[in-house]
Amino acid sequence: MGKESKTIWDRLEDIPREVLYGILIVAFIIPMLFPFGFPVPISPEVQRWYDFIDKLPNGSAIMIDFGYSGGGEAELGPFAVAVYHHIFKRGGLKAIAMSTSNEGPLLFDKVIAEVNPSQYGKKYGVDYIHIGYIAGTETGMAGVGKDIRATTTTDYKGTPLDQCSIMNGINEAKDFSLLICYTTGGDQSEGWVRQWYTTYKTPYLCCPIAMMVPTMLPYQKAGQIVSLCSGAQSGQMELLVHVPGRGIKSADVITITHILCLALVVVGNIAYFGKKFSGGK
Amino acid sequence: MSVLYRRNIPIAIVFVTVLFFLWDFFVTVPGINTKSASTILTNWGTILTAFTLGFGAVNLFMLHGKHISRRTKGQWPFSLWMLIIIALFTVVGVSTGATSSQYSWLYNSSYFALSATVYSSLGFYMTSGIYRALRAKNIESGLLLIVGIIALARNAPALVAAFPIIVPWEAWISAVPTTSAQRGIMIGAALGTLALGLRTMIGRETGFLGKLTEAERG
Repeated sequence: MGKESKTIWDRLEDIPREVLYGILIVAFIIPMLFPFGFPVPISPEVQRWYDFIDKLPNGSAIMIDFGYSGGGEAELGPFAVAVYHHIFKRGGLKAIAMSTSNEGPLLFDKVIAEVNPSQYGKKYGVDYIHIGYIAGTETGMAGVGKDIRATTTTDYKGTPLDQCSIMNGINEAKDFSLLICYTTGGDQSEGWVRQWYTTYKTPYLCCPIAMMVPTMLPYQKAGQIVSLCSGAQSGQMELLVHVPGRGIKSADVITITHILCLALVVVGNIAYFGKKFSGGK
Repeated sequence: MSVLYRRNIPIAIVFVTVLFFLWDFFVTVPGINTKSASTILTNWGTILTAFTLGFGAVNLFMLHGKHISRRTKGQWPFSLWMLIIIALFTVVGVSTGATSSQYSWLYNSSYFALSATVYSSLGFYMTSGIYRALRAKNIESGLLLIVGIIALARNAPALVAAFPIIVPWEAWISAVPTTSAQRGIMIGAALGTLALGLRTMIGRETGFLGKLTEAERG
């Protein structure tokens, strides 16, 4: 039996995945090496996030959950960095971090190393702190919300919380003016709504990975989340804060790879209809 | 006696605990402060979860130890490698501290890099999946194609700048069909969770008690 020759439509309709992967790698590497500087418009949700922090009264405490794992760092890390820049630039705010992910303390270290708080004159234990990994996800959130010191008495390095001036007068969820969560998991992003927003009405800013955004949309529409931004929007936050970094670089990559996906969809459909109208199945 | 210990007492504990938390959340009686008791119970939960991490590690050692001792074909070298890595992380973490530069180096140079690599490989599968799945073969797939194209374009910053008309289209898709569908899923899941909780509370759901005999199940 002779092997049937493939038509151009057949070839275009079934491009081997190795070829697709190869094209994607090229589309990924080129803008990383030679950034195009494509425009990055600011989305309403990113602007809302920025404005909310900007308008916080002086002395406000912010709880920041590093609830993501290493896999999500490339997406969420730049957003966390940009937001820390904003908090430190804005001044007069207490940034108290915790982690509902056991990798959180290490990822906090990476973010702080990138921000370099000393350039803003900010000190650990005075202007910002990390109170460690709190196990139990929602149970941990509830515990911290009821009484921080009953859940943990030290920061992530073992320093007693009472020796850190930032913790003066900070005991429970009611002492926080804002909650921020960076996460790769639904347990965290939805858990904070249940454990802090519902119970204490703490305003909540949520930054999950892009693919989680649709599942979190109902909470934003219901007003339980002030702003829902995906980590893929970190370039926009960097622009607002005027500290360009990894997010802006990845914005070009996101544009190029998305255009590639659109082009592949068009090619796939042209091939499908071309084959159909030329008598193929 | 077995029914009492293995079924009735655990269910009674669950019933009382759930009732207490419901009371603490919904009911406020002047003069009665349940906050400290509920805080203690919540912290027990946190401690128990932390304990289960250690328990999980012991379980891994037992399971993979068996693979190594039996030389399970195609498995035991990986089991051995995993136990070595667990031991290495544990030794470095315990001896130098989980936030030490040594532990951070170990994490950043191994687990972090691998984790980011595995996660980013999704991009390749997604590209291939989008190319193959978004084809207008019928009305349903045609609708999916239109929504997919709008969502893709909306997430590309430069395309949004070039074609701002995409923004309200995507906003409508997010606000109406997506949110409606998600709400339906969430309300369904919430009702299911409520039913499961109620059944567990009154002893109709006994999965959490482990394997029970017919008599113990009641």
